Amino acid sequence: MRTALRRFALVVLALVALAALFAPQIAPRDYSLQFREAPRAPAGGPFLMGTDDLGRDRFSRLLYATRISILLAPAAALVSVLLALPLARFTSLTTLCLSLPWIFLFIILRALLPLNASPWESILLTFGLMGVAGWAWPARVFAASLREIRQSGWLLQARAAGLSDWRISLVYVWPHLRAIAIAQFRALIPAYILSEASLGLLGLGVAEPLPSWGNLLAELQRPDAVRSNPWVLAPLALLMLVMICLEIVQPVREGVA
Amino acid sequence: MNARGLSRHLLQLIVIVLLGGFAAAALVRYSPGFDSIPEDLDPSISPEVLRALHAKNAVDNPLPVFYLRYLRGTLTGGFGISATLNQPVADLLRRRAPVTARLVALGTAGGILLGALFAWMAVWTRRVFLEATAYSISGLLLAVPPAVLGLAFFFTEAPLALALALALFPRLFGTIRALLDDRAASPALLAARARGVRPMAIALRYVIAPSLRQILALVGVALVLAFGSAIPIEAICGIPGIGALALQAAIGRDMPLICALALIITFFVTLAHSAGELMA
Repeated sequence: MRTALRRFALVVLALVALAALFAPQIAPRDYSLQFREAPRAPAGGPFLMGTDDLGRDRFSRLLYATRISILLAPAAALVSVLLALPLARFTSLTTLCLSLPWIFLFIILRALLPLNASPWESILLTFGLMGVAGWAWPARVFAASLREIRQSGWLLQARAAGLSDWRISLVYVWPHLRAIAIAQFRALIPAYILSEASLGLLGLGVAEPLPSWGNLLAELQRPDAVRSNPWVLAPLALLMLVMICLEIVQPVREGVA
Repeated sequence: MNARGLSRHLLQLIVIVLLGGFAAAALVRYSPGFDSIPEDLDPSISPEVLRALHAKNAVDNPLPVFYLRYLRGTLTGGFGISATLNQPVADLLRRRAPVTARLVALGTAGGILLGALFAWMAVWTRRVFLEATAYSISGLLLAVPPAVLGLAFFFTEAPLALALALALFPRLFGTIRALLDDRAASPALLAARARGVRPMAIALRYVIAPSLRQILALVGVALVLAFGSAIPIEAICGIPGIGALALQAAIGRDMPLICALALIITFFVTLAHSAGELMA
Protein backbone atom coordinates (compact mmCIF):
# COMPACT_ATOMS: atom_id res chain seq x y z
CA MET A 1 0.00 0.00 0.00
CA ARG A 2 2.74 2.42 1.07
CA THR A 3 4.86 1.52 -1.97
CA ALA A 4 1.93 2.01 -4.32
CA LEU A 5 1.18 5.38 -2.73
CA ARG A 6 4.83 6.44 -3.09
CA ARG A 7 4.84 5.41 -6.74
CA PHE A 8 1.66 7.37 -7.35
CA ALA A 9 3.12 10.43 -5.58
CA LEU A 10 6.30 10.15 -7.67
CA VAL A 11 4.25 10.02 -10.87
CA VAL A 12 2.27 13.11 -9.81
CA LEU A 13 5.46 14.98 -8.94
CA ALA A 14 7.05 13.97 -12.24
CA LEU A 15 3.98 15.21 -14.15
CA VAL A 16 3.98 18.53 -12.29
CA ALA A 17 7.73 18.93 -12.86
CA LEU A 18 7.32 18.19 -16.58
CA ALA A 19 4.44 20.68 -16.84
CA ALA A 20 6.65 23.23 -15.08
CA LEU A 21 9.66 22.54 -17.30
CA PHE A 22 7.65 22.78 -20.50
CA ALA A 23 5.47 25.68 -19.34
CA PRO A 24 6.39 27.88 -22.35
CA GLN A 25 5.30 25.10 -24.70
CA ILE A 26 2.13 24.11 -22.80
CA ALA A 27 0.87 27.53 -21.70
CA PRO A 28 -1.58 28.92 -24.25
CA ARG A 29 -0.43 32.50 -23.58
CA ASP A 30 2.44 34.45 -22.07
CA TYR A 31 2.16 34.89 -18.30
CA SER A 32 2.25 38.69 -18.54
CA LEU A 33 0.03 39.16 -21.59
CA GLN A 34 -2.96 41.30 -20.63
CA PHE A 35 -6.35 40.99 -22.29
CA ARG A 36 -7.69 44.37 -21.22
CA GLU A 37 -11.10 43.71 -22.73
CA ALA A 38 -11.45 40.58 -20.55
CA PRO A 39 -10.49 41.30 -16.93
CA ARG A 40 -11.90 38.78 -14.41
CA ALA A 41 -13.20 36.62 -17.27
CA PRO A 42 -14.91 33.44 -16.05
CA ALA A 43 -13.43 30.00 -16.59
CA GLY A 44 -14.12 28.33 -19.90
CA GLY A 45 -14.17 29.67 -23.43
CA PRO A 46 -10.80 31.06 -24.48
CA PHE A 47 -9.48 31.02 -20.89
CA LEU A 48 -9.39 27.62 -19.20
CA MET A 49 -9.29 29.06 -15.66
CA GLY A 50 -10.47 32.56 -16.46
CA THR A 51 -8.40 35.73 -16.14
CA ASP A 52 -7.22 37.84 -13.23
CA ASP A 53 -7.93 41.53 -12.53
CA LEU A 54 -5.46 42.59 -15.22
CA GLY A 55 -6.91 40.20 -17.80
CA ARG A 56 -4.00 37.71 -17.63
CA ASP A 57 -4.66 34.04 -18.32
CA ARG A 58 -4.77 32.21 -14.98
CA PHE A 59 -3.84 28.81 -16.43
CA SER A 60 -0.72 30.16 -18.14
CA ARG A 61 0.30 32.03 -14.99
CA LEU A 62 -0.18 28.90 -12.89
CA LEU A 63 2.10 26.89 -15.18
CA TYR A 64 4.84 29.51 -15.06
CA ALA A 65 4.38 29.94 -11.29
CA THR A 66 4.85 26.19 -10.85
CA ARG A 67 8.07 26.42 -12.82
CA ILE A 68 9.44 29.13 -10.54
CA SER A 69 8.29 27.66 -7.24
CA ILE A 70 9.06 24.01 -7.88
CA LEU A 71 12.39 24.41 -9.63
CA LEU A 72 13.98 27.07 -7.47
CA ALA A 73 13.15 25.55 -4.07
CA PRO A 74 15.60 22.65 -4.68
CA ALA A 75 18.26 25.17 -5.72
CA ALA A 76 17.76 27.09 -2.44
CA ALA A 77 17.85 23.80 -0.50
CA LEU A 78 21.14 22.91 -2.20
CA VAL A 79 22.63 26.28 -1.21
CA SER A 80 21.57 25.72 2.43
CA VAL A 81 23.07 22.23 2.57
CA LEU A 82 26.32 23.32 0.88
CA LEU A 83 26.66 26.24 3.32
CA ALA A 84 25.78 24.04 6.29
CA LEU A 85 28.60 21.56 5.65
CA PRO A 86 31.51 23.95 6.37
CA LEU A 87 29.56 26.03 8.92
CA ALA A 88 28.41 23.06 11.03
CA ARG A 89 31.47 23.37 13.28
CA PHE A 90 30.41 26.86 14.43
CA THR A 91 27.80 25.70 16.92
CA SER A 92 27.37 29.14 18.55
CA LEU A 93 26.60 30.72 15.19
CA THR A 94 24.15 27.91 14.45
CA THR A 95 22.44 28.43 17.81
CA LEU A 96 22.23 32.17 17.16
CA CYS A 97 20.64 31.66 13.75
CA LEU A 98 18.21 29.14 15.19
CA SER A 99 17.26 31.59 17.95
CA LEU A 100 15.24 33.76 15.63
CA PRO A 101 12.10 32.35 14.03
CA TRP A 102 13.01 31.72 10.42
CA ILE A 103 10.23 33.85 9.00
CA PHE A 104 11.26 36.83 11.18
CA LEU A 105 14.89 36.49 10.12
CA PHE A 106 13.85 36.27 6.50
CA ILE A 107 11.48 39.24 6.73
CA ILE A 108 14.36 41.36 8.10
CA LEU A 109 16.81 40.15 5.44
CA ARG A 110 14.38 40.51 2.56
CA ALA A 111 13.18 43.94 3.62
CA LEU A 112 16.75 45.20 3.87
CA LEU A 113 17.25 44.54 0.20
CA PRO A 114 15.58 46.73 -2.41
CA LEU A 115 11.82 46.20 -2.45
CA ASN A 116 11.66 47.62 -5.99
CA ALA A 117 13.92 44.89 -7.41
CA SER A 118 13.19 43.73 -10.93
CA PRO A 119 11.15 40.49 -11.15
CA TRP A 120 14.16 38.33 -11.97
CA GLU A 121 16.22 39.97 -9.23
CA SER A 122 13.36 39.32 -6.80
CA ILE A 123 13.50 35.60 -7.69
CA LEU A 124 17.21 35.47 -6.98
CA LEU A 125 16.78 37.48 -3.79
CA THR A 126 13.90 35.36 -2.50
CA PHE A 127 15.38 31.95 -3.17
CA GLY A 128 18.98 33.06 -2.61
CA LEU A 129 18.12 34.46 0.80
CA MET A 130 16.15 31.33 1.65
CA GLY A 131 19.22 29.27 0.82
CA VAL A 132 21.53 31.52 2.82
CA ALA A 133 19.19 32.04 5.79
CA GLY A 134 18.24 28.37 6.06
CA TRP A 135 21.70 26.84 6.53
CA ALA A 136 21.33 26.52 10.31
CA TRP A 137 18.86 23.59 10.30
CA PRO A 138 21.04 21.22 8.27
CA ALA A 139 24.09 22.55 10.16
CA ARG A 140 22.52 21.50 13.46
CA VAL A 141 22.01 17.96 12.17
CA PHE A 142 25.51 17.84 10.67
CA ALA A 143 26.97 19.07 13.97
CA ALA A 144 25.16 16.34 15.91
CA SER A 145 26.39 13.73 13.44
CA LEU A 146 29.96 15.05 13.58
CA ARG A 147 29.84 14.82 17.39
CA GLU A 148 28.86 11.16 17.10
CA ILE A 149 31.54 10.50 14.51
CA ARG A 150 34.21 12.11 16.72
CA GLN A 151 33.37 9.66 19.50
CA SER A 152 33.22 6.61 17.25
CA GLY A 153 35.63 3.73 17.57
CA TRP A 154 36.30 3.43 13.86
CA LEU A 155 37.58 7.02 13.73
CA LEU A 156 39.97 6.29 16.57
CA GLN A 157 41.10 3.15 14.75
CA ALA A 158 41.60 5.07 11.48
CA ARG A 159 43.67 7.69 13.29
CA ALA A 160 45.69 5.01 15.08
CA ALA A 161 46.38 3.41 11.69
CA GLY A 162 48.02 6.69 10.66
CA LEU A 163 45.53 7.75 8.00
CA SER A 164 45.66 11.42 7.06
CA ASP A 165 42.82 13.78 8.03
CA TRP A 166 41.94 14.27 4.36
CA ARG A 167 41.66 10.56 3.75
CA ILE A 168 39.58 10.07 6.88
CA SER A 169 37.29 12.94 5.88
CA LEU A 170 36.78 11.84 2.29
CA VAL A 171 36.73 8.06 2.62
CA TYR A 172 35.20 7.55 6.06
CA VAL A 173 33.37 10.69 7.25
CA TRP A 174 31.83 11.93 4.00
CA PRO A 175 29.78 8.75 3.30
CA HIS A 176 28.09 9.28 6.69
CA LEU A 177 27.43 12.95 6.04
CA ARG A 178 26.30 12.36 2.45
CA ALA A 179 23.23 10.42 3.56
CA ILE A 180 22.35 13.20 6.03
CA ALA A 181 22.96 15.87 3.37
CA ILE A 182 20.57 14.12 0.98
CA ALA A 183 17.92 13.73 3.73
CA GLN A 184 18.27 17.41 4.69
CA PHE A 185 18.10 18.50 1.07
CA ARG A 186 14.86 16.56 0.63
CA ALA A 187 13.41 17.92 3.88
CA LEU A 188 14.19 21.52 2.97
CA ILE A 189 12.47 21.47 -0.43
CA PRO A 190 8.86 21.39 0.91
CA ALA A 191 9.83 23.84 3.66
CA TYR A 192 11.09 26.32 1.07
CA ILE A 193 8.10 25.86 -1.22
CA LEU A 194 5.84 26.64 1.74
CA SER A 195 8.02 29.58 2.83
CA GLU A 196 7.92 31.11 -0.63
CA ALA A 197 4.13 30.84 -0.53
CA SER A 198 3.99 32.60 2.87
CA LEU A 199 6.38 35.34 1.74
CA GLY A 200 4.46 35.83 -1.50
CA LEU A 201 1.30 36.28 0.54
CA LEU A 202 3.06 38.95 2.60
CA GLY A 203 4.23 40.70 -0.59
CA LEU A 204 7.91 39.92 0.05
CA GLY A 205 8.35 37.12 -2.45
CA VAL A 206 8.70 37.06 -6.22
CA ALA A 207 7.73 40.41 -7.79
CA GLU A 208 4.97 40.90 -10.36
CA PRO A 209 4.49 40.35 -13.25
CA LEU A 210 6.42 37.09 -12.74
CA PRO A 211 4.04 34.58 -11.20
CA SER A 212 4.89 32.30 -8.27
CA TRP A 213 2.62 30.23 -6.08
CA GLY A 214 3.11 32.84 -3.35
CA ASN A 215 2.00 35.87 -5.32
CA LEU A 216 -0.85 33.90 -6.94
CA LEU A 217 -2.07 32.98 -3.44
CA ALA A 218 -2.18 36.68 -2.56
CA GLU A 219 -5.48 36.79 -4.44
CA LEU A 220 -7.00 34.73 -1.63
CA GLN A 221 -6.99 37.91 0.44
CA ARG A 222 -10.04 38.96 -1.57
CA PRO A 223 -12.95 36.65 -0.78
CA ASP A 224 -15.05 38.18 -3.58
CA ALA A 225 -12.45 36.98 -6.12
CA VAL A 226 -12.71 33.44 -4.74
CA ARG A 227 -16.51 33.52 -4.83
CA SER A 228 -16.68 34.84 -8.41
CA ASN A 229 -14.09 32.38 -9.75
CA PRO A 230 -13.22 29.29 -7.70
CA TRP A 231 -10.21 28.70 -9.98
CA VAL A 232 -8.47 31.31 -7.82
CA LEU A 233 -8.00 28.37 -5.47
CA ALA A 234 -6.12 26.35 -8.14
CA PRO A 235 -2.62 27.48 -6.99
CA LEU A 236 -3.49 26.46 -3.42
CA ALA A 237 -4.78 23.08 -4.60
CA LEU A 238 -1.64 22.48 -6.65
CA LEU A 239 0.61 23.61 -3.81
CA MET A 240 -1.15 21.22 -1.43
CA LEU A 241 -0.96 18.37 -3.94
CA VAL A 242 2.77 18.85 -4.41
CA MET A 243 3.38 19.22 -0.67
CA ILE A 244 1.42 16.05 0.10
CA CYS A 245 3.27 14.12 -2.62
CA LEU A 246 6.61 15.37 -1.31
CA GLU A 247 5.55 14.27 2.17
CA ILE A 248 4.64 10.81 0.89
CA VAL A 249 7.89 10.26 -1.00
CA GLN A 250 9.93 11.50 1.97
CA PRO A 251 11.31 8.50 3.87
CA VAL A 252 12.10 10.46 7.04
CA ARG A 253 11.01 14.01 7.66
CA GLU A 254 13.35 16.26 9.60
CA GLY A 255 11.60 19.08 11.47
CA VAL A 256 11.94 22.54 9.99
CA ALA A 257 10.36 25.41 11.86
CA MET B 1 20.56 20.16 36.18
CA ASN B 2 23.20 21.55 38.55
CA ALA B 3 24.02 25.20 39.25
CA ARG B 4 26.91 25.09 36.79
CA GLY B 5 24.67 23.90 33.97
CA LEU B 6 22.08 26.51 34.83
CA SER B 7 24.61 29.33 34.80
CA ARG B 8 25.98 28.05 31.48
CA HIS B 9 22.48 28.28 30.00
CA LEU B 10 22.04 31.76 31.48
CA LEU B 11 25.34 32.96 30.04
CA GLN B 12 24.48 31.45 26.68
CA LEU B 13 21.12 33.24 26.80
CA ILE B 14 22.73 36.64 27.48
CA VAL B 15 25.38 36.21 24.77
CA ILE B 16 22.88 35.06 22.15
CA VAL B 17 20.48 37.92 22.93
CA LEU B 18 23.25 40.53 22.71
CA LEU B 19 24.59 39.01 19.49
CA GLY B 20 21.08 38.77 18.03
CA GLY B 21 20.45 42.45 18.69
CA PHE B 22 23.84 43.41 17.29
CA ALA B 23 23.33 41.30 14.16
CA ALA B 24 19.94 42.93 13.53
CA ALA B 25 21.41 46.40 14.05
CA ALA B 26 24.34 45.62 11.74
CA LEU B 27 22.05 44.29 9.03
CA VAL B 28 19.88 47.38 9.10
CA ARG B 29 22.80 49.81 9.39
CA TYR B 30 24.62 48.43 6.35
CA SER B 31 21.58 47.78 4.18
CA PRO B 32 21.44 49.66 0.86
CA GLY B 33 19.77 53.03 1.16
CA PHE B 34 20.18 53.37 4.93
CA ASP B 35 22.17 56.58 4.49
CA SER B 36 19.38 58.19 2.49
CA ILE B 37 17.33 60.77 4.32
CA PRO B 38 13.86 62.10 3.40
CA GLU B 39 15.37 65.54 2.73
CA ASP B 40 17.21 64.03 -0.29
CA LEU B 41 13.94 64.23 -2.18
CA ASP B 42 13.30 67.88 -1.37
CA PRO B 43 14.61 70.05 -4.23
CA SER B 44 14.32 73.21 -2.15
CA ILE B 45 17.10 72.13 0.24
CA SER B 46 20.53 73.36 -0.76
CA PRO B 47 23.41 70.89 -1.31
CA GLU B 48 25.29 72.41 1.65
CA VAL B 49 22.39 71.78 4.01
CA LEU B 50 22.00 68.26 2.60
CA ARG B 51 25.70 67.59 3.14
CA ALA B 52 25.38 68.83 6.72
CA LEU B 53 22.33 66.61 7.30
CA HIS B 54 24.14 63.60 5.85
CA ALA B 55 27.16 64.33 8.00
CA LYS B 56 24.94 64.52 11.08
CA ASN B 57 23.28 61.27 10.07
CA ALA B 58 26.64 59.55 9.65
CA VAL B 59 27.88 60.87 13.01
CA ASP B 60 24.68 59.79 14.77
CA ASN B 61 24.61 56.33 13.30
CA PRO B 62 27.95 54.49 13.40
CA LEU B 63 26.98 50.98 14.40
CA PRO B 64 28.96 50.45 17.62
CA VAL B 65 27.94 53.87 18.98
CA PHE B 66 24.32 53.29 18.06
CA TYR B 67 24.29 49.82 19.56
CA LEU B 68 26.00 50.80 22.83
CA ARG B 69 23.68 53.77 23.24
CA TYR B 70 20.78 51.54 22.44
CA LEU B 71 21.81 48.89 24.99
CA ARG B 72 22.25 51.56 27.66
CA GLY B 73 18.76 52.82 26.91
CA THR B 74 17.39 49.28 27.00
CA LEU B 75 18.91 48.62 30.41
CA THR B 76 17.19 51.72 31.75
CA GLY B 77 13.87 50.53 30.36
CA GLY B 78 13.65 52.47 27.09
CA PHE B 79 13.89 51.11 23.56
CA GLY B 80 13.93 54.46 21.77
CA ILE B 81 11.36 55.93 19.41
CA SER B 82 9.99 54.02 16.43
CA ALA B 83 11.08 55.77 13.23
CA THR B 84 7.99 54.76 11.25
CA LEU B 85 5.27 55.01 13.90
CA ASN B 86 6.86 57.89 15.83
CA GLN B 87 5.91 56.33 19.16
CA PRO B 88 8.03 54.97 22.01
CA VAL B 89 9.00 51.40 21.12
CA ALA B 90 8.35 50.29 24.70
CA ASP B 91 4.74 51.52 24.44
CA LEU B 92 4.26 49.75 21.12
CA LEU B 93 5.60 46.51 22.54
CA ARG B 94 3.50 46.85 25.69
CA ARG B 95 0.34 47.26 23.62
CA ARG B 96 1.11 44.60 21.01
CA ALA B 97 2.74 41.86 23.09
CA PRO B 98 -0.44 40.73 24.93
CA VAL B 99 -2.23 40.20 21.59
CA THR B 100 0.53 37.93 20.30
CA ALA B 101 1.05 36.25 23.67
CA ARG B 102 -2.65 35.33 23.83
CA LEU B 103 -2.67 34.05 20.23
CA VAL B 104 0.55 32.06 20.68
CA ALA B 105 -0.51 30.62 24.06
CA LEU B 106 -3.94 29.51 22.81
CA GLY B 107 -2.49 28.25 19.53
CA THR B 108 0.22 26.27 21.33
CA ALA B 109 -2.24 24.75 23.80
CA GLY B 110 -4.61 23.85 20.97
CA GLY B 111 -1.81 22.44 18.80
CA ILE B 112 -0.48 20.23 21.60
CA LEU B 113 -3.98 19.04 22.53
CA LEU B 114 -4.84 18.25 18.93
CA GLY B 115 -1.48 16.56 18.39
CA ALA B 116 -1.94 14.50 21.56
CA LEU B 117 -5.53 13.57 20.62
CA PHE B 118 -4.62 12.41 17.12
CA ALA B 119 -1.47 10.66 18.32
CA TRP B 120 -3.61 8.91 20.93
CA MET B 121 -6.05 7.85 18.23
CA ALA B 122 -3.21 6.54 16.09
CA VAL B 123 -1.40 4.61 18.83
CA TRP B 124 -4.03 3.53 21.29
CA THR B 125 -7.03 2.48 19.27
CA ARG B 126 -4.92 0.33 16.91
CA ARG B 127 -7.60 0.83 14.29
CA VAL B 128 -6.22 1.27 10.81
CA PHE B 129 -8.98 3.66 9.81
CA LEU B 130 -8.37 6.04 12.74
CA GLU B 131 -4.62 5.89 12.23
CA ALA B 132 -4.99 6.65 8.53
CA THR B 133 -7.36 9.53 9.36
CA ALA B 134 -4.87 11.01 11.84
CA TYR B 135 -2.04 10.82 9.30
CA SER B 136 -4.17 12.18 6.46
CA ILE B 137 -5.35 15.21 8.44
CA SER B 138 -1.83 15.87 9.66
CA GLY B 139 -0.40 15.59 6.13
CA LEU B 140 -3.13 17.78 4.69
CA LEU B 141 -2.60 20.55 7.23
CA LEU B 142 1.15 20.39 6.78
CA ALA B 143 0.61 21.23 3.11
CA VAL B 144 -1.19 24.51 3.81
CA PRO B 145 0.74 27.72 4.53
CA PRO B 146 -0.22 29.01 8.02
CA ALA B 147 -1.16 32.37 6.51
CA VAL B 148 -3.75 30.68 4.25
CA LEU B 149 -5.24 28.89 7.24
CA GLY B 150 -5.35 32.24 9.03
CA LEU B 151 -7.11 33.86 6.07
CA ALA B 152 -9.72 31.08 5.92
CA PHE B 153 -10.47 31.51 9.62
CA PHE B 154 -10.41 35.29 9.36
CA PHE B 155 -12.98 35.40 6.58
CA THR B 156 -15.25 32.89 8.31
CA GLU B 157 -14.86 34.85 11.57
CA ALA B 158 -13.55 31.75 13.32
CA PRO B 159 -10.98 32.12 16.11
CA LEU B 160 -7.48 32.67 14.72
CA ALA B 161 -5.98 30.75 17.63
CA LEU B 162 -7.64 27.66 16.17
CA ALA B 163 -5.97 28.38 12.81
CA LEU B 164 -2.64 28.59 14.62
CA ALA B 165 -3.40 25.36 16.50
CA LEU B 166 -4.19 23.61 13.20
CA ALA B 167 -0.96 24.94 11.67
CA LEU B 168 0.98 23.71 14.68
CA PHE B 169 -0.66 20.34 15.17
CA PRO B 170 0.94 18.46 12.24
CA ARG B 171 4.38 19.73 13.30
CA LEU B 172 3.90 18.25 16.78
CA PHE B 173 1.92 15.17 15.87
CA GLY B 174 4.95 13.12 14.81
CA THR B 175 6.88 13.83 18.01
CA ILE B 176 3.93 13.09 20.30
CA ARG B 177 3.14 9.98 18.30
CA ALA B 178 6.74 8.73 18.70
CA LEU B 179 6.56 9.44 22.44
CA LEU B 180 3.30 7.53 22.83
CA ASP B 181 4.62 4.66 20.71
CA ASP B 182 7.56 4.43 23.08
CA ARG B 183 5.30 4.38 26.15
CA ALA B 184 2.85 1.92 24.61
CA ALA B 185 5.64 -0.63 24.23
CA SER B 186 6.87 -0.31 27.82
CA PRO B 187 6.75 -3.56 29.82
CA ALA B 188 5.07 -1.82 32.79
CA LEU B 189 2.19 -0.72 30.60
CA LEU B 190 1.82 -4.13 28.97
CA ALA B 191 1.75 -5.73 32.41
CA ALA B 192 -0.90 -3.25 33.58
CA ARG B 193 -3.01 -4.05 30.54
CA ALA B 194 -2.66 -7.76 31.22
CA ARG B 195 -3.76 -7.16 34.83
CA GLY B 196 -6.90 -5.48 33.49
CA VAL B 197 -6.16 -1.99 34.83
CA ARG B 198 -8.72 0.52 33.52
CA PRO B 199 -7.65 2.44 30.38
CA MET B 200 -7.92 5.85 32.09
CA ALA B 201 -5.67 4.70 34.94
CA ILE B 202 -3.18 3.29 32.41
CA ALA B 203 -3.20 6.58 30.53
CA LEU B 204 -2.56 8.63 33.68
CA ARG B 205 -0.09 6.35 35.42
CA TYR B 206 1.88 4.78 32.57
CA VAL B 207 1.66 7.32 29.76
CA ILE B 208 1.07 10.89 30.94
CA ALA B 209 3.01 10.82 34.22
CA PRO B 210 6.25 9.38 32.78
CA SER B 211 6.02 11.62 29.68
CA LEU B 212 5.48 14.87 31.57
CA ARG B 213 9.09 16.05 31.23
CA GLN B 214 9.18 15.39 27.50
CA ILE B 215 5.80 17.11 27.07
CA LEU B 216 7.08 20.17 28.95
CA ALA B 217 10.18 20.17 26.75
CA LEU B 218 7.88 20.01 23.74
CA VAL B 219 6.02 23.11 24.96
CA GLY B 220 9.23 25.17 24.51
CA VAL B 221 9.64 23.99 20.91
CA ALA B 222 5.90 24.42 20.25
CA LEU B 223 5.98 28.03 21.49
CA VAL B 224 8.79 28.84 19.06
CA LEU B 225 6.97 27.16 16.18
CA ALA B 226 3.74 28.92 17.13
CA PHE B 227 5.42 32.30 17.14
CA GLY B 228 6.92 31.62 13.70
CA SER B 229 3.47 30.77 12.35
CA ALA B 230 1.80 33.68 14.16
CA ILE B 231 3.90 36.26 12.30
CA PRO B 232 2.36 35.69 8.83
CA ILE B 233 -1.11 35.08 10.33
CA GLU B 234 -1.03 38.40 12.19
CA ALA B 235 0.48 40.27 9.26
CA ILE B 236 -2.00 38.94 6.72
CA CYS B 237 -5.10 39.25 8.93
CA GLY B 238 -4.21 42.68 10.26
CA ILE B 239 -4.02 41.56 13.89
CA PRO B 240 -2.23 44.27 15.88
CA GLY B 241 0.39 41.99 17.41
CA ILE B 242 4.15 41.61 17.39
CA GLY B 243 4.12 39.72 14.07
CA ALA B 244 2.41 42.54 12.19
CA LEU B 245 4.72 45.02 13.92
CA ALA B 246 7.78 43.02 12.80
CA LEU B 247 6.69 43.14 9.17
CA GLN B 248 5.94 46.86 9.41
CA ALA B 249 9.32 47.53 11.05
CA ALA B 250 11.22 45.50 8.48
CA ILE B 251 9.53 47.11 5.48
CA GLY B 252 9.94 50.61 6.98
CA ARG B 253 13.57 49.87 7.99
CA ASP B 254 12.68 51.06 11.46
CA MET B 255 16.02 50.44 13.21
CA PRO B 256 14.98 50.99 16.87
CA LEU B 257 11.92 48.79 16.39
CA ILE B 258 13.82 46.03 14.55
CA CYS B 259 16.54 45.98 17.22
CA ALA B 260 13.98 45.84 20.04
CA LEU B 261 12.04 43.07 18.33
CA ALA B 262 15.20 41.10 17.56
CA LEU B 263 16.34 41.41 21.20
CA ILE B 264 12.98 40.43 22.65
CA ILE B 265 12.21 37.65 20.19
CA THR B 266 15.71 36.20 20.53
CA PHE B 267 15.37 36.37 24.32
CA PHE B 268 12.06 34.53 24.45
CA VAL B 269 12.98 31.97 21.80
CA THR B 270 16.30 31.18 23.48
CA LEU B 271 14.54 31.06 26.85
CA ALA B 272 11.97 28.62 25.47
CA HIS B 273 14.72 26.45 23.93
CA SER B 274 16.78 26.53 27.14
CA ALA B 275 13.74 25.67 29.26
CA GLY B 276 13.02 22.77 26.93
CA GLU B 277 16.62 21.52 27.15
CA LEU B 278 16.58 21.83 30.95
CA MET B 279 13.32 19.89 31.16
CA ALA B 280 14.43 17.09 28.84
